[in-house]
Amino acid sequence: MKNIVIKKGHDIRMSGLPTNNSISDFHSSSVSLLPNQFRGVKPKLMVSEGDKVKVGQALFFDKTKPDVKWPSPANGFVKEIKFGPRRVIEKIEIAIEGKETLKHGTLSKEQIKSSNKDTILGHILNANLFPLIRQRPFNKVADPNCDPRDIFISGYNSAPLAVDIHPILERNKEAFQLGLTALSKLTSGEVFLTLKEAIDFEDVQVQTIAGPHPSGNVGIQIHHIKPLKPNEVIWTMNAQHVITLGRLFESGIYDPKIIVSIGGSGADKPDFAKALMGTKIESFLDNQSSNKPVRIISGDVLTGHTVERHDFIGFYDSSITIIDDKVDRPFLGMLSPGSSKTKYSLTNTFLTLTNTFFNFTTSQNGEKRAMVPINAWEKVLPMDILPNPLYRAILAQDVEEMEQLGIWECDDEDFALCSFACPSKIDVGKVIRDGLDLLEQEG
Amino acid sequence: MKWLRNLLDQIAPHFEKDGKLEKFGPVFEATDTIFFSTDERTESGPHIRDSIDIKRVMILVVIALIPCYIFGAINVGYQKSLTFGYQATWMENLSTGAIAIIPIIVVTFMSGAFWELLFGIVRKHPISEGFLVTCALIPLTLPPSIPLWQVAVATSFGIVIGKEIFGGVGMNIFNPALMARAFLYFTYPVDISGDKVWALAPDGYSGPTALSIAAGQKNADAVGLLNDASSDLVFDYSWVNMFFGWIPGSIGETNKIIIILGATFLILVGITSWRVMAGSVLGLFAMGYLMNLFSPYSSNAMLSIPPHYHLVMGSFLFGTVFMATEPVTGAHTDTGRWIFGFLVGVLTVIIRSINPAYPEGIMLAILLMNAFAPLIDYFIVQSNIKKRMVRYAQ
Repeated sequence: MKNIVIKKGHDIRMSGLPTNNSISDFHSSSVSLLPNQFRGVKPKLMVSEGDKVKVGQALFFDKTKPDVKWPSPANGFVKEIKFGPRRVIEKIEIAIEGKETLKHGTLSKEQIKSSNKDTILGHILNANLFPLIRQRPFNKVADPNCDPRDIFISGYNSAPLAVDIHPILERNKEAFQLGLTALSKLTSGEVFLTLKEAIDFEDVQVQTIAGPHPSGNVGIQIHHIKPLKPNEVIWTMNAQHVITLGRLFESGIYDPKIIVSIGGSGADKPDFAKALMGTKIESFLDNQSSNKPVRIISGDVLTGHTVERHDFIGFYDSSITIIDDKVDRPFLGMLSPGSSKTKYSLTNTFLTLTNTFFNFTTSQNGEKRAMVPINAWEKVLPMDILPNPLYRAILAQDVEEMEQLGIWECDDEDFALCSFACPSKIDVGKVIRDGLDLLEQEG
Repeated sequence: MKWLRNLLDQIAPHFEKDGKLEKFGPVFEATDTIFFSTDERTESGPHIRDSIDIKRVMILVVIALIPCYIFGAINVGYQKSLTFGYQATWMENLSTGAIAIIPIIVVTFMSGAFWELLFGIVRKHPISEGFLVTCALIPLTLPPSIPLWQVAVATSFGIVIGKEIFGGVGMNIFNPALMARAFLYFTYPVDISGDKVWALAPDGYSGPTALSIAAGQKNADAVGLLNDASSDLVFDYSWVNMFFGWIPGSIGETNKIIIILGATFLILVGITSWRVMAGSVLGLFAMGYLMNLFSPYSSNAMLSIPPHYHLVMGSFLFGTVFMATEPVTGAHTDTGRWIFGFLVGVLTVIIRSINPAYPEGIMLAILLMNAFAPLIDYFIVQSNIKKRMVRYAQ
């Protein structure tokens, strides 16, 4: 077992951290899948409005990889299929009724161990759970026909206000182990599991990682354990989804419940919730007052998407962040010394000496400017990557140089802290994503 | 300040798209955000941002320069009292100096703002707060006796040719403040090359600066020459006195204590690179020491200046702390910053010692290294690439 220590990075001290240990059960009247949130997928519908669906039944598949189908998180009927411009499928909404679940065969740990890759892969594809697996580079839904070099699971969520995965793994040790064993059959390489505190698991290489965010990001862990090279493919999976996968082998069903954290400066009662994947945002907000202007984010505050009350939580997201959307305009703000209450900075440019939790708002705290390199990015990027030359290579659309500078190992979520810290307010993560898109196009 | 906010809100619509004064949008935006922090919100993830912005970075550099201005004013008055031979209190010296300096500052800011606003309007780019730092730096590099029209011409050159033609702050190759200084240096060499002292002195008064005392002298010990000069002249060119800055020179360069305090402040708030400063001082000491070793074999008295004298003579420290550390025009990688700084120090000593026609070397050293900074970065980036390629090949 290896212990990785990361020095660069930063844990944002954000107010609105859920502190209670209890987990409330949230019930939603409807759930939804949002097909256009999956990168590089060409969705084709398998249901139409009014159809009855069971938990785990396929709702749509990917035209480019027809084996990959997406499961319904609930039993009920298709209430609405919403098309966007050029008939892009934006939303498949299921009204929940009853609890019928598609049943598949079960496999014990020994049975999994003695099976070959095709059996396990077939089982996952049959149960429509394959989209839970994503691949690097490009961080998109994996291709079942490829043989990944390794599979990486991050068992540590370091993002602001994220769910602590450790107790969840302890509670679901068997299902998690079963999921890991199944995954180990899918690759000719290794399954790497990275945790904050060590727990023993079989069939995987367990590592521990210490240090500030983004140490919990799987991309950072890959970089420190076994970096990705061009033309290699790695699969990744959220730790909670490994439990979902384990449940499939354990009891033959798709269990779409995951633990979600609800927090942020705009949340009155930060909380943990057990909810279906794709639950309506509204149902998370029952306990929150809605008087003040807030921005609701599906996912963490660094990488999530803005959503409205009538929207749904993203497929891979396990947190809802609510932050104040009221921005003050202090007089001569650039001259005021500042205090821990009014300013939050990774630099010492304000007199923010105490480590209190900060009430963040959606303020950009400055105007966009050209890059002034004062090492703000480098201090929060724990990778052997030069962010500044890479940024410029992407702006120049120089694919060859991007590759040389290591863009294969990058993902936008690992650069989110750079955008947070940037004094010129440059969205570095978005530029990295543009670079990855360009790289993918050029093939 | 509510009335100001209300006023700005009231006139804002005129400057927005399709408003009557749309063209002057950048001017309004600059005024608005100088008085009140921006209300811009994040568009997508990261939904929250660090409180630091470029305005804050720039204003802190300006704050770090304020002590240089205050001491500069006192010293200008003090030097005047020396050359005219009268006694004056600190306050009198301060007011004498302020009367000389304030017009220079005003002219610099006026011509700087004029060009910045003009380019903002014509090129439709936001008014960059970087010009505040440029304009705050320019007067400090000038002698108190400079004609104001030269200040205006130099500032215009620095802002336009040094910065705006490249696209503004963040895209410039050379430090704009130094470009302004270099412009004066080469266009009006009689007044400003630095071989005669700059002080508010009686007509026809002339005396050598510390750096020009040893320049051109043959077979002599520089420290001895300085000591002799100190007893002959009204100026005291001892090491301690040069360190504390009671010598004639450009407005901001003389007091090394204040410059070191400014450097400490900038390093503590984390907006300038200590690597550049450390590298530069290291380079100066290394090259100065090397020159000392060669000194017995040469008749050039400049070679015999000890490194710690180089440190306090001329504007080396001022240039190192406030000019070489300019993040945009220097090297952009940490290793690169060490090399960049080191070579600035080395070149300063070479220009000072080997070429007596240029008594001060730091300005040319920094400008030269500005031109080479991308090359230094290129090698650092290539070594990073090479390391990665080796790993990919495994």
